[in-house]
Amino acid sequence: MVYFLGILISLAAGYLVIRLLTDNRLHLILHLLLALVLGLGIDGTVTFYTHILLNQFNHWIPIGLVLIIIAFLLFYKKEDPALAVHPIVNLKKSKTLNKLSTNKINFTQTYGLGLVTLAILAIPLAISGHYYPLGGWDAWSCWSLKAKFIFLGQDNWKDVLTPNLWRSNTQYPLLWPLINVWFFDLAGRFDQTVPMLNSIVFALLTAGILIFGILELTGNLWGAIVAAVIVTALPFGVTLYTSQYSDALLGLFLLSAFMSLLLGEKYNLPQLKILSLIFLALMSFTKNEGLIASGIAALAVFWHERANKKELKTLILTYVIALIPTIIFTLFIAPKNEAFINGLLSTDKPSNWSRLSVILVYPWFEFISSKWNGFWFLVLGGILLSGRKLWRSTLRLIAISLILYLTVILAYYQVNTFFEIGWWLSTTLSRILFALIPTITLWISLGIMAV
Amino acid sequence: MKKFRIILFISLILVAAFNLLSAYSQAIGELADHKSVPLHSLGFQFMGLENVFKGVRTVGYFTDKDLNNSLAIAQFEQAQYMLTPTVLDLNHTQYHWVIFDCTTPQVAMETIKNLGFTPLKIRNGIILAYNPNGI
Repeated sequence: MVYFLGILISLAAGYLVIRLLTDNRLHLILHLLLALVLGLGIDGTVTFYTHILLNQFNHWIPIGLVLIIIAFLLFYKKEDPALAVHPIVNLKKSKTLNKLSTNKINFTQTYGLGLVTLAILAIPLAISGHYYPLGGWDAWSCWSLKAKFIFLGQDNWKDVLTPNLWRSNTQYPLLWPLINVWFFDLAGRFDQTVPMLNSIVFALLTAGILIFGILELTGNLWGAIVAAVIVTALPFGVTLYTSQYSDALLGLFLLSAFMSLLLGEKYNLPQLKILSLIFLALMSFTKNEGLIASGIAALAVFWHERANKKELKTLILTYVIALIPTIIFTLFIAPKNEAFINGLLSTDKPSNWSRLSVILVYPWFEFISSKWNGFWFLVLGGILLSGRKLWRSTLRLIAISLILYLTVILAYYQVNTFFEIGWWLSTTLSRILFALIPTITLWISLGIMAV
Repeated sequence: MKKFRIILFISLILVAAFNLLSAYSQAIGELADHKSVPLHSLGFQFMGLENVFKGVRTVGYFTDKDLNNSLAIAQFEQAQYMLTPTVLDLNHTQYHWVIFDCTTPQVAMETIKNLGFTPLKIRNGIILAYNPNGI
């Protein structure tokens, strides 16, 4: 029960921030979905500032701060008479609605079907989560371990960064553990079900944003449902979601960022671009890979917006402010990566041609692996069918971001020769791709279905 | 082009249906045999030791197992997870408390004897020993 109270508080915080940005012009269901993603990000950020930066371990402080944010936003918006209207009342007249929702019956059926789909997708996730409460290897050796250290270790939490624990990726950022810690703070105790429930929530948020976002952008309900099912019901994906790895969070923030950007462009809501940059900044605190993806995508957005100087300044400022926890952690707290050898300089473990050839060949075997159930063939088909549509405007921005990100990741595989490359690719590449499939699905879906 | 479009849409629907069926059959499999989850209960044998280690920041963890074997590392890392926030220092025995997780209890007891430690708790082959000269 306490967990669901935490979800409600997070939802309220996110909802009010997005309300402040969009004046209720975003569709209610999408507003709620993006609000929870943002709210969880706010929880993690507040926990960072209190526990990590200020070393304050009273467990009511992070909760109180989120409640203060909520109270402030409620008070702040009360002065605006436009907000007296509940968003759902505005739906039929609002220009944010797609054609399917202009009729009341269609609206109920359409969005009801979307919600039923989410319920169907929740069942295998819930079963897998229930029988897999500790999650996968990296959950108990890295993500949940850090959450437990921060919550139980309190002043001594930095023991988790000691070189002895180098296997726990001590240099990895802390957003996913800190979100869990915020829930532990609320309950006043460590609770193993929190990371498990959060992992299911992340999966369902991904599915929900895909369904209702693609529906909003294309008006194609069945296409949106098929896209979400392909991503969220993939058995390999179900396993990774319930493994409680931060890749799921990275994927959710990336999807939310591009969805906000696309919705902002479609409905001329520049404030959604601000939200997009906040999501990108939050993503940078999920994993080091998230930091790379965030930097690339943010630069791509800035380039995309270069014509509007005033807006660009706001976007850059927003991004930098939301990036502060990542900057502080990366520059001043994170220990040196113990699992790094610069193969370009090393004579013991040089990066050589044989390593490069493995890196260039391995991904193709990964793409045809049976664990993806043909996903990458569908991507290829979608790219061929969509043609130039995928390379215009915001879709081009998404494509460039994804391509650059994968290029940097492959380059890192080549430069860092600490691990044997075959083993390293076999254990990590699939997770990197897993984090990208919601965004790739969004990209392809818009190419295929958009008018 | 139209044919290709139809083929792609049918493929999308088939893959979505296949994924959903596979996810449900995987879930049914887990319901039927939830003990098959790999490496999931290795750490349970260390439960209870956290009460001994209250306020202790670091203890030793000695093993003679091959650490290239993923099972041995998984056991160590799950022990670390269970006993957090106490840090387990792998194969270092200079601490007051040292956990011995050896290939056989005999090997563990012999090592404890050679080091001059006192064995205190034995559970599932895992031995907790006290080092009177520990730090």
